[in-house]
Amino acid sequence: MSNKAAIINRVKQQIRTQYDMPVLPIKGIEYADKIAQFKETLRAVGGEAVELKQGEDLDTVISLHYPEAKTIASNLEDTTLATISPDNVNSAHDLKNIDLAIVRGEIGVAENACVWVPQLMKERVICFISEYLVILLDKNSVVNNMHEAYEQINFHDSCFGVFISGPSKTADIEQALVVGAHGPKGVLVILL
Amino acid sequence: MSTKHTKAADLFIENKEQQVWHNKTLHFVRDKRDKMAMQLPEWEVLRETAHKIKMHTITHLDHYLDLFSTRAEANGIQVHWAKDAEEHNQIVYEILQSHKVRKLVKSKSMLAEECHLNPYLIDKGINVVESDLGERILQLLNEPPSHIVMPAIHLKRQEVGKLFEEKLHTEKDNSDPTYLTRAARAHLREEFLTADAAMTGANFGVAETGDIVVCTNEGNADMGTALPPLHIVTMGMEKVIPNLQSLSVFIRLLARSATGQPVTAYTSHYRKPREGCEMHLVIVDNGRSEALSNEDHIQTLKCIRCGACMNTCPVYRRSGGYSYTYFIPGPIGINLGMLHAPKEYYDNLSACSLCYSCNNVCPVKIDLADQIYKWRQNLDSFGKADPMKKVMSEGMKFMFERPALFRTGLKMAPIVNHMPRPLIYNGLNDWGKGRELPQFASESFAALWKKGKVSAANQKRSNHEQ
Amino acid sequence: MKIGLFIPCYVNAVYPEVGVATYKLLDYLGLDVDYPLEQTCCGQPMANAGFEDKAIHLAEQFDHIFDAYDYVVGPSASCVAFVREHHPDLLKKEGHVCRTSSKTYDICEFLHDIVKVDKLPGRFPHKVSVHNSCHGVRELHLSSASELNIPPFSKVKDLLSLMEGIELFEPAYVDECCGFGGMFSVEEPSVSVCMGQDKLRNHIQTGAEYITGADSSCLMHMQGVAKRENLPIKFIHVTQILASGL
Repeated sequence: MSNKAAIINRVKQQIRTQYDMPVLPIKGIEYADKIAQFKETLRAVGGEAVELKQGEDLDTVISLHYPEAKTIASNLEDTTLATISPDNVNSAHDLKNIDLAIVRGEIGVAENACVWVPQLMKERVICFISEYLVILLDKNSVVNNMHEAYEQINFHDSCFGVFISGPSKTADIEQALVVGAHGPKGVLVILL
Repeated sequence: MSTKHTKAADLFIENKEQQVWHNKTLHFVRDKRDKMAMQLPEWEVLRETAHKIKMHTITHLDHYLDLFSTRAEANGIQVHWAKDAEEHNQIVYEILQSHKVRKLVKSKSMLAEECHLNPYLIDKGINVVESDLGERILQLLNEPPSHIVMPAIHLKRQEVGKLFEEKLHTEKDNSDPTYLTRAARAHLREEFLTADAAMTGANFGVAETGDIVVCTNEGNADMGTALPPLHIVTMGMEKVIPNLQSLSVFIRLLARSATGQPVTAYTSHYRKPREGCEMHLVIVDNGRSEALSNEDHIQTLKCIRCGACMNTCPVYRRSGGYSYTYFIPGPIGINLGMLHAPKEYYDNLSACSLCYSCNNVCPVKIDLADQIYKWRQNLDSFGKADPMKKVMSEGMKFMFERPALFRTGLKMAPIVNHMPRPLIYNGLNDWGKGRELPQFASESFAALWKKGKVSAANQKRSNHEQ
Repeated sequence: MKIGLFIPCYVNAVYPEVGVATYKLLDYLGLDVDYPLEQTCCGQPMANAGFEDKAIHLAEQFDHIFDAYDYVVGPSASCVAFVREHHPDLLKKEGHVCRTSSKTYDICEFLHDIVKVDKLPGRFPHKVSVHNSCHGVRELHLSSASELNIPPFSKVKDLLSLMEGIELFEPAYVDECCGFGGMFSVEEPSVSVCMGQDKLRNHIQTGAEYITGADSSCLMHMQGVAKRENLPIKFIHVTQILASGL
């Protein structure tokens, strides 16, 4: 089998002219109203964003959106709806029949509706295996574009982080868009 | 005068309805891409920056590979190095074997296609399950992808419906895409839950952090890697980029160029193995290092596999992915095939009218058409030039290098106008397939000039004006 | 200012009237125009087919013939693009520096950028669909390419707009290839004809009576398809419209 040194040496020998790195970051698009843009983009990619209004109860808002959800996975203290925690299972497989998952996002991106979700839970599978996904997001953490987002992302020393933009989708059959391929069929971002 | 591409294209075009649909559908993806590009004032700056980052990275690849693999190892990922496809396949198999893996769920990887990994593993008794919907459809059909981003774009819903009826026992004659997608979801959910290992490709490897970044819409890579205790990533060595700042440039370009979405639904960053699990990374050369020293074709190493060049290519849209002999079709496939094995894949060079649209849509500004032009120049040197084209070019050279002969030719040419049709429009006349020949003028421009008729045309006006 | 008129081989043989119109325009604008008789072909057909080596001598010939002029101007964007983009490389192989490539212009860009024509006599009271040819758009930048996010412009439309009564249109897929591509048209006849048919349909759907463009080669290809299928559309080179009142 080849080893690192052999391959890297070979690469080194093959390089001819070398080019400089451009100056980064470049200036990305900015929006007059980032939150409005974030909501509009999220709608365009098949998701939905709502702002939690003063005096509104988070659990009530979630329950009204997903009245049929029975098995709800979350490790957040913001909600009392959770019936199972991703932190207290023996195996990720134990989370297979989840109707709804509630997780926290840390950055929202106006240009593409991405929400940065670092893995602050033992089993991240709830983000993908659940029928529907709710992401809680501080509305002050919405940025204009991915350049700004990558300046800020934090893994919190975890093993994984993901930008989620709306629900899972596919267009592999005749380019017809179907929402809910393998992952959630709907994503609700609640802006706090 | 025809190549394997020409012949396969003939067949594709024969099914007019399918060809029209294919052309229209892929152009619609190009339209969506345009809409996205026009929404960002900085679009062209992004492309130029992406191009520069890639040129910098691939020409400092030794440094970035070292940094990337060192960081990944520090993060607990086990790194392997493969010089070619064979080593790649062996490494993957050995990892699977050491974990007694029977079922492997895979997300879409062009590198795995390049290395023919699936047949290799299946041969050794591994149950390989493709989890991207398009790839799964093709796996059930035992067909290769016809597009790198939309692998099953050549299939109609009825064909998928029939396939699922047989394999997944869906309702008879139900070919509704939502219904079929739901059936695949249920079927693949079971596969995810019973897999022993997951495998993904990599869209980007971030040197500064050791992160492996995978972009999908379906969430199949994420589902796959979040369940079993083993995750194998294989990536071509040119996928390394310097840092997260660079990544932001590519993420903004990738999905917009590929499918006309602002971003893929999931942009996943794998940094360390899951708790109690193992993560392996196989870094593959397979001819890439050789391309580094080829200054005419080094730019193919910038490719981020978005497929935009296929969607805009007027030839690809009208001839379909299977008309190309390399597993990656379209402008980038023509070039990658030539870089890989020119004597095997030269047939694809005919599939280009040199319209240069691919150069303009490419998010990393690969000089795709220029490279096709350059490859054509090399064909003669290894005996693969079309003899007819060579004779025609030699004939033109002979005539055009002799101005007097050229002018005699101009004088004689109108005779062709009056030749009997069967003499002109026969099997030997490829122009005559679908087109009338142009009519030669009774007097050429050169003849008019010599006789003073060109300036006379204006003299008349001048006199008239006075 | 001495202009060397570059009349590409096929324009010479098939469309001399395009050459005449080009001359008329330049002469009308008071320029000193000469047509060097020794010119033949720029070498593009062989080079695009993969036989650049057979074009080297033609590039030398071209450079020699046109060296003495201040500008070289021709009515075929694709041929001009070949001189501009490829002749320097071809001559470099022979150890020569190309002296003509940077002063070679397509007639439209020459009128628009160098002479800066802002009026022309004549009426052309017709509906005209503009054919944006690949090399005109993507190599010579006669108009903004549809793929790029740059401010839209069209030198060809600017010039045509000088004609009184003209109504300008552009087809859907505004700068998609017509399928000519030199030897591509005979090596890949099925795809090429299909592209030509699609392009014609898009032009005809604008309701135009004429298709015009800066490239006679694309017009020739589409004309061949239109004639075979008896399609109701006429073809005219930009210079013929612009010179119609002279």
